Amino acid sequence: MANLSVEICGVKLKNPVIAASGTFGFGREFDEIYDISCIGGVSTKGLTNASRLGNPVPRIAEGHGVILNAVGLQNPGVKHFIENDLDFLKNKGVAVIANVAGSTLEDYGTICSTLDGLVDMVELNISCPNVRAGGMALGIKPENIEEVTALSKSNLKKTPLMVKLSPNVESIATNAKAAERGGADCISLVNTFTGMVIDLEKRRPVIANNTGGVSGAGIKPIALKMVYEAAHAVKIPVVGMGGIMSGKDALEFMMAGAKAVQVGTANFADALAMPKIINEMNGWLDRHGIKNVNEIVDTLQLN
Amino acid sequence: MKELVATVKQVENIAENVWALTVTLPESAGEIKGGQFLNISTGDGSRLLKRPFGIVKAEGNDVTVCFQVKGEGTVALSQAKKGDKLAVLLPLGNGFVIPESAKNVVVIGGGVGIFPLVPVICGNKDKKFYSYIGFRNKNCACLLDEFGKSEKLTVVTDDGSLGKKNNAVNAYFEDIDNVSADLIIACGPPVMLRALKQKMQEKGVKTPCLVSLEERMGCGIGACLVCVCKKSDGSNARVCKDGPVFDINEVQL
Repeated sequence: MANLSVEICGVKLKNPVIAASGTFGFGREFDEIYDISCIGGVSTKGLTNASRLGNPVPRIAEGHGVILNAVGLQNPGVKHFIENDLDFLKNKGVAVIANVAGSTLEDYGTICSTLDGLVDMVELNISCPNVRAGGMALGIKPENIEEVTALSKSNLKKTPLMVKLSPNVESIATNAKAAERGGADCISLVNTFTGMVIDLEKRRPVIANNTGGVSGAGIKPIALKMVYEAAHAVKIPVVGMGGIMSGKDALEFMMAGAKAVQVGTANFADALAMPKIINEMNGWLDRHGIKNVNEIVDTLQLN
Repeated sequence: MKELVATVKQVENIAENVWALTVTLPESAGEIKGGQFLNISTGDGSRLLKRPFGIVKAEGNDVTVCFQVKGEGTVALSQAKKGDKLAVLLPLGNGFVIPESAKNVVVIGGGVGIFPLVPVICGNKDKKFYSYIGFRNKNCACLLDEFGKSEKLTVVTDDGSLGKKNNAVNAYFEDIDNVSADLIIACGPPVMLRALKQKMQEKGVKTPCLVSLEERMGCGIGACLVCVCKKSDGSNARVCKDGPVFDINEVQL
């Protein structure tokens, strides 16, 4: 039984497996299937200052090894989360990471100050490709990333800041450095890749929003390369994600430089994906005589 | 609600493009109510999403769903072999809650929407069901033995190849004076449910009515907010968790 606990910018996680935002709600539904206190953390459904109804349906489609979604940040608003869901997650003993999004730059400041001191970490969604008003624009250019990071950081006196990077960019290393310059305590990547799925017979895109974010097993090699590049561009910790379906996948991300991982789409394929991934990581480490999961981080040897 | 690995027991073609799949669960999944559904993997590992299907029958640890072959995922499922292992998540959704006081229940079903109505009829022997079900044509008709347990069964088709040329909603309204219903339950394509709501309003039918909705789903348990419908007050409801069964007046169709 290897020691799986990790620490990211002062936040202790019992293991490095975090539920990725948007796939796990606020944890209540999955807790009906298994006790979610076994996972390392939960990144909440993306929160905005005011509640949002999201996009029209259909919001999801599928390709080989991937899914495409455009939920459009449907959420009850940050205050509703604090009043109704935060205690539930805290009582589960998981690291609570509030994923937040804004329509404007100023929104990020407001929502960060609302959450400061209440959650274990704030994760900035500056890369959600589905909200025309903000989202994408702030997450593409390094100067915008630095600006939104700095503003958010200035509103967080107690809570560490994680910036979630979009992969739909010119240089992930440049953008990772921009987040670091802006004062991010850590970064997470990758968010979804923009994509489209077409219904040939109807001659229309399958989802109502026409385009959406691609995630799942099929994006893993691209995500791994980006996590490797980002982790070697910055000194702050990196949380890796993108198509993790198994314990081995998770360990590959850690080997590429991630200190922890997030698991999203796998939760749809298998509701027990996260506990299984944690067990599989343990098994692999045991078989290789590795006593502490941190020993695997950034041990990739290039050819 | 459990995530389990089920074993395929039987796969049977029961009508044109419609298959009945029976799986055996390794353990009980708890009580399964009529109108609840399950999420089942297609057996093709490159398909990450499970498919949500209404449960037609649950007996011991055997669960039967019926589905229409529409895309590559359902093609793969229709080719499942006895003994194949498929991941399932069940039971999901609220199901039809039939009040004790409802003694005479009208059942309206269209096409593949008839499936979740079957366990309601088969599981409530103390009630009388008056069923109106519609198919495209006689080749698409299925589960007539199960619907035959109704006090009265009217089968119609779009082309008149089985029963009268009619649709299920009109068939009920043409017969409405002969049935004193305490409750209407319905499932079918959106166009059918819209027609039902409109006709009820036109004719001033005040009978309580429950409808089961369908939407493309992600997690199936209410976490991902993919499968929402609009409630009458403009807010969203999750089809998988708050539904799939709603009061007809509670949702926009």
